[in-house]
Amino acid sequence: MTASIFIPSVGFGLVTASILALAAVGFTLQFGVTNILNLAYGDLMTAAAYIGYVVNRHGGSIALSLLAGAAFGALSAFLLNRLVYTPFLRRGTKLFGMVIVTLSVGVIIQNTLLAIGGATFFTYNFSVGSAVHPLGFVFNTSQLMIIGLAVAAMIVVQLLLTQTRLGKAMRATAANPGLAQASGIATDRVVDIAWLLSGLLCGLAGVVLVLNTTAFQSTTGSGFLVIIIAAAMLGGVGRATGAMVGALVLGLVTEISAAYISPSYKEIFAFGVLVIVLLVRPTGIFTGAQREVAG
Amino acid sequence: MNATAYYLTTLLVYLGVDIMAVWALNLQYGIGGVYNFAFVLFQAFGAYIAAVLTLGSSSGNGGFQNYILGATLPFPLPIIAAGLASGLLAVVVGLVALRKLRTDYQAMVMLVISVIATLTVTNDTGLFNGPAGLSLIPQPLSNVVNPSSVGYQWFYVGITFVICAIVYVFVHRVTSSPLGRALRATRDNEAAAEALGKDVVRLRLFVFVFGNVIAGISGAVLVQFIGAWSPGSWMYVETLVFLTAIIVGGTGNNLGVMLGALLVPVGFNEATRYLPQIGRPGLIDALQWIVIGMLGLVFLWFWPQGIIPERRRRFAPTPPGTAPVSGSAGSGSGAPLADPTVLGEPR
Amino acid sequence: MNAGIPSKDRGFPTGEGERARVRLAVRRPSVTVRNYTNKRAGTVITALASAAVIALAGCGSSSKTAATGPDTGTGPLTFAVFNPFSGPDASFGPEQVAGCLPAAAAIQAAGGILDHKQVSCKSADTRGDPADAVPAAEQLIASTSGFMGVLGPGSDEASATVPLFDRAHIPMFGDTGQKVFDKSSFNYFYRITAPDDAVGYAMALYAHQKGYSHVAGVFGNDISSQGTAPTAAAGFRHLGGTIVTQSIPLDQSSYRTEIEQVIGSHPQAIMTEADPQTSGTYMAELRQLYKVIPIIGTNGTNQPPWFKAVGGAIGQANLATYYAGAQPYAPVTGAPYQEWRKELAVVAGKVSQPVTQWEQDSYAMAAWDSINLIALAAQEAKSTNPAVFNPDIVRIAGPTPGATVVHSFAEGKQALAAGKKIQYVGAVGAITFDQYRNSPGQFEIVKSDGHTPIVTYTANQVAAAR
Repeated sequence: MTASIFIPSVGFGLVTASILALAAVGFTLQFGVTNILNLAYGDLMTAAAYIGYVVNRHGGSIALSLLAGAAFGALSAFLLNRLVYTPFLRRGTKLFGMVIVTLSVGVIIQNTLLAIGGATFFTYNFSVGSAVHPLGFVFNTSQLMIIGLAVAAMIVVQLLLTQTRLGKAMRATAANPGLAQASGIATDRVVDIAWLLSGLLCGLAGVVLVLNTTAFQSTTGSGFLVIIIAAAMLGGVGRATGAMVGALVLGLVTEISAAYISPSYKEIFAFGVLVIVLLVRPTGIFTGAQREVAG
Repeated sequence: MNATAYYLTTLLVYLGVDIMAVWALNLQYGIGGVYNFAFVLFQAFGAYIAAVLTLGSSSGNGGFQNYILGATLPFPLPIIAAGLASGLLAVVVGLVALRKLRTDYQAMVMLVISVIATLTVTNDTGLFNGPAGLSLIPQPLSNVVNPSSVGYQWFYVGITFVICAIVYVFVHRVTSSPLGRALRATRDNEAAAEALGKDVVRLRLFVFVFGNVIAGISGAVLVQFIGAWSPGSWMYVETLVFLTAIIVGGTGNNLGVMLGALLVPVGFNEATRYLPQIGRPGLIDALQWIVIGMLGLVFLWFWPQGIIPERRRRFAPTPPGTAPVSGSAGSGSGAPLADPTVLGEPR
Repeated sequence: MNAGIPSKDRGFPTGEGERARVRLAVRRPSVTVRNYTNKRAGTVITALASAAVIALAGCGSSSKTAATGPDTGTGPLTFAVFNPFSGPDASFGPEQVAGCLPAAAAIQAAGGILDHKQVSCKSADTRGDPADAVPAAEQLIASTSGFMGVLGPGSDEASATVPLFDRAHIPMFGDTGQKVFDKSSFNYFYRITAPDDAVGYAMALYAHQKGYSHVAGVFGNDISSQGTAPTAAAGFRHLGGTIVTQSIPLDQSSYRTEIEQVIGSHPQAIMTEADPQTSGTYMAELRQLYKVIPIIGTNGTNQPPWFKAVGGAIGQANLATYYAGAQPYAPVTGAPYQEWRKELAVVAGKVSQPVTQWEQDSYAMAAWDSINLIALAAQEAKSTNPAVFNPDIVRIAGPTPGATVVHSFAEGKQALAAGKKIQYVGAVGAITFDQYRNSPGQFEIVKSDGHTPIVTYTANQVAAAR
């Protein structure tokens, strides 16, 4: 293929990266603050997409679906932590046990959706809008909306983490929960907020993902879990900025390798980048103090 | 009845394979503290290697399958080769994943690696025949015993349990040796183990490779029995079933996890097949997965140490064989906070 | 490293020289379990384990009607659906059930097979995975009394489980299109759905006849799609066309880059098969980046879930205008089709909703035919023992001089009672099994309702693309 495909594939990479960034930042924020590897994240995305679908099919706009998905994501992540994860931690379940807990919760969510919705495919009722061609890119309005949403969300997250007391508290909790608590930070509240924020982004990402894939089923979100994790790891787990950059790198690598090498291997290349980075810098590109949610 | 015998023998072979798998995974996770979410990958790799080493040249059978390394090795060489190949792969993966990484990072890297492997095998159809997988894999010693007879089924059960016994000897040697204690120490407190001069990375790498050799062998035993293998057989969720077995049986205890293998992947799975079929088609199968998920949660909540808890080891190792009961881990049921060594750092 | 680490290969002879010995003496005496008191506990557990497994297996076991000679039994008879019900291919199972339930209900309403009044369907989930499917198959065989036949296996599990049903002498009607079953030696394996490779040729022929010279072939990297892709491409080239082929990974968030590559060749049409989600994404983006072009699908895409997903993605009107799909000829007019609709309506509340999605579903119709064939074969052979009635399946499908043509079990039972010979012509049309019990039959190209024919081809016409 020639250079003519380069600019469009960068554009497509940006759309992929936007979806990935929403999901990966949510994932990494929560992991950084709470240290729980939430493998139910992908299935929670699917659940939010189902909620958005119900809203959409009852005449709600896409904005309303996004809102509903985000609200559902935030609420269910919060409740999941309060009602399942925290009780397990209090009961003394270790890190690895927690991984099994989250994986089990994911399997339960996914199959509950299958039991309720049935083994079929769903599509939102919406128009992708007209195509626009800024600077040689090819987008439609729906994709521009996705990119816009992701950029806005990233800016808000950045500002929250760097400019507010809450952000400081979150970073402090991530770096050293004991010390944070000793310095008067209400770490329980910080943890709650981290879950809410993570769930919010997770819900948004779920709806945006299925807007982009158009058709979805009960396994759609869990199929994306690993690349979300890869994006988070690439930037250094727990670091919001890192996850953003990780998402961008993976989005671009996937699409450009699909353009110049082979679509069959595009994910392999994306994961390959991660492996190489890990060989050089075992904790990701943006390494600093481990576990820090950096601005 | 013949049909019952076929079913029973099939279950026994699966039981043997699952027991090897949970021993291996228990060695890695339960004893070594290595989070091997790519476990199924190593089982699958062993299965593929054993398959291509028995299938003969890929131009055979009308050439409808494409694969590497076609050969016709006599039993049990394909199984041994499968173990070694999985071990070799484990060295490579271990050097990437276990090196200087925090354990939860390791878990994530394992997930990523298992997905890379699935993608590679699915997309590179020349490797192991892509998404269609391999089939018509000959059964071992089928020239000695008629492979479609019940007799052969029992014969294969025998082979499986002999291999199981061999594997147990090695597993037991590791778990009861000073090495096993070093591994447990690493698991329970990495920093302390390091301070005592244990090379944590090397210990983990050893247990990772060792466990995956067994994983490869178990995959080979399975594939030689069922005669087919495809990428659908090893999504990472499959590891959840083994992990649940370990939790249920008793993390860190070889006999406990063996019981877990009987109860979860075999017993529970088979028992749910007898459920009445209610509701719309497929509903019961979704519910089955929900129940498997719940099973792990229920055990982690009520019996976090499983049915047969790991023996607590103080000072000198308890004499081998002492029944792992009576007060040695009273926290096994009802009082899960009793044992400080199993507590993490809840926050 | 510490002492006490067993070397990996101790006890496992690997040298060339030892190979002969290995073959004879599998068990090396040096590696018996000994000197560990744990042995006793281990033995106890093993014994317990074995006992539990035996109990488990035993509780489901029941004797099959295996008697030869005239069948005077009255026990219930069972047909099984052996397909994925969970996982990514979870939509396969309910489709087969939609064919099984109407047939079983109608057979029971017609008084059952011989003196067996009760006829039912049960399902077993293969999870789309050979390793999970094997015990599921053995359990099904061991625990099913009056086991008449199987709908399945599908592509995901066929190669591992066809031998098992064959060994148990259970007739199976596979819904796999894999080439390996084009010529299989399994006496109990039947296929009345199309082999993937033949579908590919039919697609190529249609594209050629429509006058396309440049097409794109876009196929998902799953078993079924990859079975169709090579012959679609080879067939179209053979007929003088140019085709750009692409194998795409499933369920990605986007395929825009792939599409950019394909549209560089300005294809006039796209030949495709992938799962509904993948195709939905791909077609929506193709429309956006290029335009809506004619789509030539397969029997894998002539499915309600696919139409739902892609229709949602590009609009139902576009799908109706631009879609054509190759599939085995299944007329949706005429007596057999009316019979199928009637029987389906009876069990409307029991199949996956909405029931209308199954009315023109060629897989569900083929499943319905399969049950009827098996039931009539048993009725004709006067035995519910598959080993006895198996040859009758081929016979009652094929044309016999003087035979009465029947379209349902009830009709057939009546004709047999009147001492007539019968030929079953079902919802998928006349079924003619070749020596490998495949019935490739004719092909048709249908519109996006899954049944309105655009053109039909005989097997010979399709062969022109080979």
